[in-house]
Amino acid sequence: MITNRWTTADRRGFLTAATAAGVLLAVTACGTGGGGAGGTTGGGDANAALTVWFPGNSAPEIELVTKKLVPEFEAANGAKVQVTFVDWAQISPKLNAGFAGNSAPDVFGHGPAAAAGFAAAKRIEPLDDRVAALPAEDRADLEPYLAGGQVDGTQYLIPLGGNGVLVAYRKDLLSEAGVTEPATWAEAAEAAGKLAVRDGGTIQRAGLMLQSAKIQRVQSFQALIGSEGGTLLSQDGRQVTWNSPEGVKALEYFAGLYGGDAKVSDQLGRDFANQPAGQNPLATGKAAMVSATAGQVLQMVKAVPDLASKIGVLPPLRSADAKTFGGATTGLFVNADSARKDLAWKFAAFMVSKGVNERYAEAVGGLPVRASAAQGAYVTGQPLLKPFIDAAPAYQGSPNVPAWVQVRDVLDKHLEEALAGKATAKKALDDAAAEAGPLLAAQ
Amino acid sequence: MALLAERGGDRSAARSRTGLRGLRGTRGTRGTSGRGPTGRRRLVGLVFTAPVLVYLAVFQLFPVLYGFYLSFTSYSPLDRGAPRPVGVGNYTALLGSADFLKSLRVTVQFVAEVLPFAVGIALGLALLANRRIPGIGLLRAGLFLPRIVPLTAVSLVWLWMYSPDGWFNDLAASLGLAPRDWLLDEDSALHSVAVMRVWKALGGNMVLFLAGLQAIPGVLYEAAKMDGAGAWARFRHVTLPGLRPVMVYVVTINIVYLSQSFAEIFILTGGGPLGSTTTTNYLIYQEAFQNNRFGSASAMAFVLFAAIFAFALVAMRGNGRK
Amino acid sequence: MRRPGSVVALVIATLLVLVPFWWMVSIAFKPESEVFSAEPRLLPDDPVLDNFSVALDAGNLATAMTNSLVVALLVVVANCVFTLLAGYAFAKLPYRGSNAIFMTIVATTMVPVAVTVIPLFLIAKGIPLTGGNDVLGRGGSGLLDSLAGLTLPHLIGPLNVFLARQYFMGLPDELGEAARVDGASEFRLFWRIYLPLARPLVATVAVFAFTAVWDDFLWPLVITSSPGTQTVQLALSQFLTGGNVAYGPAMAGSVLVLLPVLAVFVFNQRSFVAGLSEGGVKG
Repeated sequence: MITNRWTTADRRGFLTAATAAGVLLAVTACGTGGGGAGGTTGGGDANAALTVWFPGNSAPEIELVTKKLVPEFEAANGAKVQVTFVDWAQISPKLNAGFAGNSAPDVFGHGPAAAAGFAAAKRIEPLDDRVAALPAEDRADLEPYLAGGQVDGTQYLIPLGGNGVLVAYRKDLLSEAGVTEPATWAEAAEAAGKLAVRDGGTIQRAGLMLQSAKIQRVQSFQALIGSEGGTLLSQDGRQVTWNSPEGVKALEYFAGLYGGDAKVSDQLGRDFANQPAGQNPLATGKAAMVSATAGQVLQMVKAVPDLASKIGVLPPLRSADAKTFGGATTGLFVNADSARKDLAWKFAAFMVSKGVNERYAEAVGGLPVRASAAQGAYVTGQPLLKPFIDAAPAYQGSPNVPAWVQVRDVLDKHLEEALAGKATAKKALDDAAAEAGPLLAAQ
Repeated sequence: MALLAERGGDRSAARSRTGLRGLRGTRGTRGTSGRGPTGRRRLVGLVFTAPVLVYLAVFQLFPVLYGFYLSFTSYSPLDRGAPRPVGVGNYTALLGSADFLKSLRVTVQFVAEVLPFAVGIALGLALLANRRIPGIGLLRAGLFLPRIVPLTAVSLVWLWMYSPDGWFNDLAASLGLAPRDWLLDEDSALHSVAVMRVWKALGGNMVLFLAGLQAIPGVLYEAAKMDGAGAWARFRHVTLPGLRPVMVYVVTINIVYLSQSFAEIFILTGGGPLGSTTTTNYLIYQEAFQNNRFGSASAMAFVLFAAIFAFALVAMRGNGRK
Repeated sequence: MRRPGSVVALVIATLLVLVPFWWMVSIAFKPESEVFSAEPRLLPDDPVLDNFSVALDAGNLATAMTNSLVVALLVVVANCVFTLLAGYAFAKLPYRGSNAIFMTIVATTMVPVAVTVIPLFLIAKGIPLTGGNDVLGRGGSGLLDSLAGLTLPHLIGPLNVFLARQYFMGLPDELGEAARVDGASEFRLFWRIYLPLARPLVATVAVFAFTAVWDDFLWPLVITSSPGTQTVQLALSQFLTGGNVAYGPAMAGSVLVLLPVLAVFVFNQRSFVAGLSEGGVKG
């Protein structure tokens, strides 16, 4: 009685599909639920695979770890390992859900900044005894990076990879402008003034560009305040010290690069770490000097091979002191609730063992955490890595206090105000101190 | 066919009644049939909705209620103990939080910028695309494409288009305008995200309007034509009233989705510059997963919820009665 | 309504919307060196297929697409069955309190997922008799890291119920009255009279359910942990991360990921097409 374009066949199809879906649903629910790799810590099945969540998920890293390193470890230890790669930016939701559901993995990776929080909640295993049991030679080899994984003197994190931030420059542009390599921050500013190319009020080519994207600006500021002889927090991590005269001087320098009459840089706030390396202003020639990590410098050269002979890296720039941001970037933690702590530790130790760690560093494009790697093929084959290895004594990592992530975000917000010219350096740092003080006191 | 044509008039009357009532239109059933729904009919209604109710109670309502409970506690997923009750402390703390209040302003501005375009343009496109011409399927697919492309992937293209040497600065140059840093400038960042969001939302809304247009009986247009109504009059008196139920839906879900904008901001601007794109949902994500303060994040979520609910209610009522 | 001007407007609008896709496809065929040339070229000078093989090999993309397709298909069918039934009932068979229930359903979607994802995770883990769980949902891992678990938050989209209700509300009550007088059952009314008129609705719900799965990131991220359960978004993300942003493979992967969705849509869009001159309720 009603004309319609849905035939009986259509309806029969609909019904069949519905039935099929119901059956399929039931089958999947029963059939695939058993994989259950997530729930390892609660159960005591010691024969199940060791679960590992890796920090990062770049294609070369996945390739190396899943196709080579893990099979090697499995063969050597007669164990099964299940690795999951988690994008850096997204690891927190995954770990939080895992901890809330008691299904976090045996081993997981994260940055040192997270260590204090996990330690305070007793979610991670202290590793002092296990580190102490390593051969003395191994300990000495790892020593420089181990400190970054300690909270109140206890070792929680085994550093997997390191990185440092130094100022890289274009040799061709410097010689073109008749500028010699600067050794101090003051000389760098002066050189930047000569190197910058302006067209009216806009910068055509930046003289000196310090990383100024979110969080990166805290790292740049940390390098500057360290070089002025100041620190972000007091020794015990309970008090803000970034609004000291050294801090103000550091931030005035930083903000002066991007604003005011003598500005030498543009692109305030741009994140080069999450863009293809070939787009870095140093690679495109839109900046003569840029702060960069070892990984970024290597990738620039990889993306644009011509640059190999044109890029140089300055040793840490000096003011009252010569400090820069660097140290362990990622490391492995052992879950305090793991049923397989011995195997978990073996895996962590395997990842930082000689040779293995060098291969890993090469795949992710970072610094190996072993001092002896300086003589290894990876470092010696990459002349641009040497300055980053040599700069290790100047590296300072983030303060390992439980509230650091929140404190950092507060500082970040106020640094941005100062860099954008919305507040003076003094006011921005004082405001940040006032806001961060209670967070530090409450931890 | 004749039978149907005859009934056309009745149906238009019925339509305007249901349309007028909008949200409360279910009561029209009683009015039209002249007697209340029988108990059996109610029972059938209950049976039809039962699977949905059971499912949503477990997978939708329970998580929400649990979140509501958390909003009165201090809780981190890292904690081993139970959430610690703090009364309304999380809520009172929000009142004094400049960041939170600013995020609400940003959210309202973002919704206000995107909504008219995402709905208006989509309606226009649906009207244009509601016809049989060769290749219409391809045109519709093209318009719908942004809705189905994974945001993580397409964001790379947008980041590039907004970059200093990207397509937008190319366009600006050809129009004689100065290039700018679209996403790094406090004055343009939110608008830039809004443009991408309109682009992403158009296709979905257009499809909804197309479905709505299909439900309007053709006889109404024929009747209107016979009465000598012009194209504009037909649009006003036939199309718009006929689209009303779908319009209510489109405006409501756009408010619901837009006020929870997160992914595009996460990818394009990270909430910056100077907090100018930090929407409330972005702040909630940070508070929950960066700071591990689920109690406070949940409190924010429920303040946002109250705001969305209020706006959605206005939209549903307003649209229903217009 | 058939003026050529409006067709031209439609074509121009479509082309504008497609601009980002043009770049996407173009970059997918460009060798690494061409992706960022000083002057972006609309077409690759020297088109290559490498990006596609990189995306497929390194990206685990084939498995991820199969997974996403299976999950999406289940979700589409569940949505088409249950949300249509419920939406119809809310519109045409109201019972005491049904409006309040309906409003509650709509309201739950207004709570950001950041807050609900952890409780949902705990529920997925506690589903009885799955993943080694006992009858009380304890002891195992439930639906974590399974395809069934991936479907959980999407099986019934609350907003699809809303959509279905609005759509059926737009259909006249009188259609059913005559049949009801003839003594037809309520289900028969739905099945024989209203459902046949709801083809555009079915198409819309199907497409939206599909894209809800295809666009989701947070849930797959949280509940999957083995390579065998990865979804497309997770597979794509490895080309987008810091230190390894690779435009070519990312765009190639995106193109591949788009194709099945496009197919679903093109197949379905006929249902939106009937036009003003024929079909369905148009009589």
